Amino acid sequence: MRPFKLPPQILRLILLTLGIVGSYLVARAMLTPPSFHEYGWYRGEALEELSARTPVFAGKKACEECHSDILQKLGQFEHKTLSCEACHGVSREHADNNDILPVKLTGSHCLRCHEANPSRPKWFKQIVVREHYTGKCSECHVPHAPNQTP
Amino acid sequence: MKQQFSRRSVLARIGAAMAGLLAAPAARAAKTAVQKVFVSSGAAKGYDVMKHKWLMCVDANKCIGCGLCAEACKKENNVPEGPYFRTWIERYVIPKPKPGSGETRGEPIVDSPNGGMHGFPPAAIPPSEIEHSFFVPKLCNLCEHSPCTQVCPVGATFDAPDGAVLIDPKYCIGCGFCIQACPYGCRFLNPFTKTAEKCTLCYHRITRGLKPACVEICPTQARIFGDLNNPVPDDPLQKFCDQNLVQVLKPHLGTEPRVLYAGLDKEVR
Repeated sequence: MRPFKLPPQILRLILLTLGIVGSYLVARAMLTPPSFHEYGWYRGEALEELSARTPVFAGKKACEECHSDILQKLGQFEHKTLSCEACHGVSREHADNNDILPVKLTGSHCLRCHEANPSRPKWFKQIVVREHYTGKCSECHVPHAPNQTP
Repeated sequence: MKQQFSRRSVLARIGAAMAGLLAAPAARAAKTAVQKVFVSSGAAKGYDVMKHKWLMCVDANKCIGCGLCAEACKKENNVPEGPYFRTWIERYVIPKPKPGSGETRGEPIVDSPNGGMHGFPPAAIPPSEIEHSFFVPKLCNLCEHSPCTQVCPVGATFDAPDGAVLIDPKYCIGCGFCIQACPYGCRFLNPFTKTAEKCTLCYHRITRGLKPACVEICPTQARIFGDLNNPVPDDPLQKFCDQNLVQVLKPHLGTEPRVLYAGLDKEVR
């Protein structure tokens, strides 16, 4: 009986398949980021990249470093839950360099929260501006101590 | 057939084996070099993702619909102008029932003009016809079993070990599967980068020990954010869960959200 011999075209097909699969495996090993399976089926490095951005809002803690007196006063009144930047605007630049002043906002900002609206919870202090007063809020209310008059 | 071992062939084989062994580190070096050029980021480390478990709580009773959170989120995360929001406020208006309708309440009207960023115009029905009305802040629900991450074909979105559901913008191909998969509508396709985007819990802030922008800015502390693995003294999360009956959105989907709500009506989805 003649010994079995693989036909050359089959051999070539096998070699070609091995070549394609092999080059795919090499490319995959080289191009998969090293951190890909660090935590799961994703790039572990993405976590660091996402956290690398600089924050925009400085945060109340940054304000407290210099303005602890104002924050202490604020803490005694109804506005104690407010963040400084809720009224004074983004103040990161001011926190980094106190020569740059924060954006001070005027009385109209009060109405953003305190204008009467039937959807607002009942416990929240609301006014109908036309019936309340037409002047400036700060004529009668100290923003940092809303129960006091200036 | 008898195998023939000549001195020459044995030496050749040993030499080939040695070359193979020497080639392994060279191949590894080549692999690192290729990875460095094509896929490495070189971002700095400093935050241990395994040591945190973030949780967000929302008290709908406290939301006054001022829209500062939606506005702060846009500023903080450079979210494009227009109908793109990582967090937004919805207004629910439940009218009084029509006389003789046999119902306890009318059909609820839900709206969110510009995400609530610039406040809400008067409701579609006069105040005298409103039975209940309230605001509900919405954001990514941080699902434990997140449908959005399961459909991503390229491993670009994932549940981080600290509970945040994030998107790797370098890997996202913008196919939009995740946007369709999210049952809470919390994702959108950024029209400029053409990648999916969503609330990251302000990942760049929380990894630095700051609060997310929306939590920082909320004037009534309707949003409470914290770390379950590192409770602070008088922990606000614990206090919130002690004082309120909490629920999640769409519990029947089994997504197990990590955003807990207090004070919701049954109409809120």
